[in-house]
Amino acid sequence: MNTATAGKVELRIPARPEFLEVARLTVAAIGHKMGFDVDAIEDIKVCVGEACNNAIQHASECDAGGEIQIVCSLELNQLVLEVQDAGPGFDPDLCIEQVDLDTVAAEELPDSGYGLLLIKALMDEFHCLSQPGAGTLVRMVKRSRPA
Amino acid sequence: MNFEINSRTVDDRTAVVAPVGEVDLHTAPEIKRRIAELSDQGYTQIVVDLSRINYLDSTGLGVLVGALKRLREKDGELRLVHPTPRVMRVLEITRLVNVFQIFDSEEAALSSLTGRGA
Repeated sequence: MNTATAGKVELRIPARPEFLEVARLTVAAIGHKMGFDVDAIEDIKVCVGEACNNAIQHASECDAGGEIQIVCSLELNQLVLEVQDAGPGFDPDLCIEQVDLDTVAAEELPDSGYGLLLIKALMDEFHCLSQPGAGTLVRMVKRSRPA
Repeated sequence: MNFEINSRTVDDRTAVVAPVGEVDLHTAPEIKRRIAELSDQGYTQIVVDLSRINYLDSTGLGVLVGALKRLREKDGELRLVHPTPRVMRVLEITRLVNVFQIFDSEEAALSSLTGRGA
């Protein structure tokens, strides 16, 4: 990672599933430019995709349509990713972690909710600010690892 | 995005579904529909070949979990074959690796299904 790559990239995409690939490809390119290894770049892609999934799903719930804003801050030893939507918000504590995935019967497994689990596992930092009517901001940090 | 689903029937209860490309909120519903169609036609033993999936997100996981549950309601089963390392990582993080029966080859998966043992 070097200071030559410091800067900020902002992307706005329609809150629709067909634009997810655009977000993933953009952050993958940024990760590559910053010198992250291929596994870390894949982690970044997955997590931005999951944050956008949440935004799209909640946008559709309130028929908000609208856009998702993705701000990528390229810092000295880390990439900070902020995914903001104007949807109805959600409670990040209502995550699948409340289910004991090691013991639950397959028949009782939820069909959704695995996204936040992935983000928490793959990112170094994760914060979610969500308020009814004020949208949701997901902030994630991926730090560089010494070669 | 280049995405397609190949599928074929093996016998009157068994089918193989082989998606190709990236599975996300945009494409996962297509897999869900294909498996539901096969299930409705009586193919309740489904093998999903993941060898050509290079990206699978939580919606893809949800489709696989949902398919497993609904097939079991019909006394059927779902098997996964040859997930790529990236897909395997997602299965491991979510601990769904303990839920699905995962095989290295289609032949092994088919042999594991009821009435198809060697």
